[in-house]
Amino acid sequence: MAALFSGDGLVTILFAFAGCLWGIFGGALPGISPSIAMALLLPFTYGMDPIPAIVLLASVYVGAEYGGSIPAILIRTPGTNASAATTIDGYEMARQGKGGEALGISLISGLVGGLFGLVVLVLATEPLARVALAFTPAAYFALAVLGLSVIASLSGGSLLKGVIGAGLGLMVATVGTDPVSGVPRFTFDSPELLGGIRPILVMVGLFAVAEMLVQIGEPPWAKAEARDTRLKLPGFGMMRRLFRAQAIGCGIGTFEGVTPGAGGTVAAFMAYNEARRWSADPDAFGKGSPEGVAAPESANNVVTATALVPLLSLGIPGSNSAAILLGGFMVHGLTPGPLLFERAPEVVWGLYGGLLAANIAMVLLGMVILTPALWLVNRPKPYLIAAILCLIVSGVFAIEQSVFDVGLVLGIGVVGYLLRLAGVPVLPIVLGVVLGFMLESNYRRSLMLSAGDHAVFIEDPVALVLLLLAVALTAYSFWSEFKRKT
Amino acid sequence: MLTRRHALAAATLPLAAPALRAQARYPVPTVTLVTHSSPGGGSDIFLRELIKHLQPVMGTNFAVENVRGGSGATAVARVARAQPNGGMFYATTPTYIQTTLLSRPEFGYDSLDPLSVVFLDPEVVYTRVQSPFTTLAKAMAAAKANPGRQKWGAANPASLERIALERLNRITGARAAVVPHEGGGDLMINVLNGTLDIGIGEVQEIRAQLDAGRVRLLGVLTETRLPDFPDLGTAREQGIDLVVTKFRGLAGPKGMPDEIAAQWSTALATVLDSPAYKAVFSKESLVATPQLLPRPAARSFTTEFAADIATSLRELGVAR
Repeated sequence: MAALFSGDGLVTILFAFAGCLWGIFGGALPGISPSIAMALLLPFTYGMDPIPAIVLLASVYVGAEYGGSIPAILIRTPGTNASAATTIDGYEMARQGKGGEALGISLISGLVGGLFGLVVLVLATEPLARVALAFTPAAYFALAVLGLSVIASLSGGSLLKGVIGAGLGLMVATVGTDPVSGVPRFTFDSPELLGGIRPILVMVGLFAVAEMLVQIGEPPWAKAEARDTRLKLPGFGMMRRLFRAQAIGCGIGTFEGVTPGAGGTVAAFMAYNEARRWSADPDAFGKGSPEGVAAPESANNVVTATALVPLLSLGIPGSNSAAILLGGFMVHGLTPGPLLFERAPEVVWGLYGGLLAANIAMVLLGMVILTPALWLVNRPKPYLIAAILCLIVSGVFAIEQSVFDVGLVLGIGVVGYLLRLAGVPVLPIVLGVVLGFMLESNYRRSLMLSAGDHAVFIEDPVALVLLLLAVALTAYSFWSEFKRKT
Repeated sequence: MLTRRHALAAATLPLAAPALRAQARYPVPTVTLVTHSSPGGGSDIFLRELIKHLQPVMGTNFAVENVRGGSGATAVARVARAQPNGGMFYATTPTYIQTTLLSRPEFGYDSLDPLSVVFLDPEVVYTRVQSPFTTLAKAMAAAKANPGRQKWGAANPASLERIALERLNRITGARAAVVPHEGGGDLMINVLNGTLDIGIGEVQEIRAQLDAGRVRLLGVLTETRLPDFPDLGTAREQGIDLVVTKFRGLAGPKGMPDEIAAQWSTALATVLDSPAYKAVFSKESLVATPQLLPRPAARSFTTEFAADIATSLRELGVAR
């Protein structure tokens, strides 16, 4: 660690700041997901030394997962998949004129999550890697079912409409190459659809585009409306109130981060759900509860560190972002895996130090950026909406230089607008799209392995525990819903 | 603009050529190599390494362009529409043929003209070290003795690897469950935790676990043994008649003059022979294919490969 304070160390810290800044901007732009923000920077790292290069990429990941929550809170448009859950209470707070406070809570919760994740990464990589290895296809199926069990709390008023939404999401997830047979499904001979419809496109359409369509139909906001114009960091009293939500976020984020494939989105949704369940004031959720911002924001920032567990210890990337980071390692002739800790310990420790710097950078940069961001969203509405639509279209186009994707996002936006008129909640749709592939592919893989015997889901101990947990949580949600209504 | 510069370059050619090198000067100042792989992906790293060594030999500038989307179709379309003046090529892998067969893109693999096939990516069959199998022959004997009981994993559903395992099934009559995954990481977890009896993949994908002594190689599906694994028997040596060829090469727009193609094959041959580049690609366990560098050889290889894979995909019921 002492090396961090030498000349090279300072360079590394500088790259951590630069990466974090780029990540916050990338994450905040709808359409630029953390992995895209990283991929855009990757070519610049080819000529760099390994440690600054890898720290730069990992810092982009940290910054982007945080940056996504800024538009989620301010304009109800999550910049990343994992910040979708933050829209519920974050945007509600912003509407109540507490946008600055919500941004402060998400920033500090992100820091808490990021630091907790880093501690877990440093101390418990080896045992957590064993957890990742214990996941068979049956266990992954059960994990996806557990993720779906949060539909009830994302549905707002009507559970039926929530289930319809999740069903729509699962249907969208069936587009693309069949995960088992390889047959193209619902692709209409279009190569653009062979890889399926990416969740980020669904999300940008359903949230960003649909929200702009809704906003266009509403009168411009009055100047007199009491809106926060300054960032407000949570005080000691607020931190005490948020402690439980952040702890839940940290716990769930750790678990979801180390299991490849689950990732920050599911972690954030589940953390939101559980924070509401265990809150002293569950009724405030959905109406601008600070805990509803803290839980998902700490969860998705824990994942930025714990998602590195399977990558560093097994060489297995658990997410798109981890796959880009793996590319960053490979370019420098490093192979993450069981031997990385022996062969290149300086890189591992450099990365840990860089992550620490990135988390600190996140807070400092956030404090500088957020007040201007608040100012920006209080500009006259026509300019704001036009600018955001431009950003959406250019952001989506930038991902794969594909006009098809732009059309897809705009089409999904119109569908999202109609769904919103019909009162169908959009978060369950996002959940369905994110989990659909994992659910289906692992269900079918499990049955192939068991020669069609469904007993595989209760014979696998991990799967059994997760399925029982899903049943218990769902039953509890129904019961408390029932009790509240009578 | 481009054409005028082109003409200018051609005009100065007779003056500059004898002084500079025996080989004719390359007609365009910058060559763009297009890949469907994202930065840091397999083909991207391959190209960026290759151009480092090609640049001094060919004396032109190189740029790598990542054109993602459409499972490779977007990148193919970009190159197919380019001028056939040697300024743009596509980095081929079996993916561009598979995408053409699985969907109906406006520009398929056959709208490009193969230039060279540079490497073969050897496929290996592996298992975890706790497994009782030590060779492919033993694994196949066990599969034959217990038909329908073995579980084999491949990385992707419409991949060469899956086709290879289905062929193994046909050769041995093992009726093993062939379980496709979503990428190599998923597959590796299920091999390591014993869910699968064997897995198949490229050496680079399993390098980390191999070096750590957590997986064992059972056999390689090439014609000859790999130089860096001299003790690893090929499938044929182990009595299983299966060879799988995954390739990496270059293809350009149709109508490119023969002289440019000849310049490339000479330059690529020089690079493949250079000790510096040899060190790089042998570390990746890539097998150089100097015999497939000339354009006619690359063309017939690609045609045969496409016909072969089309048959296999139809047999799997994946393509029409």
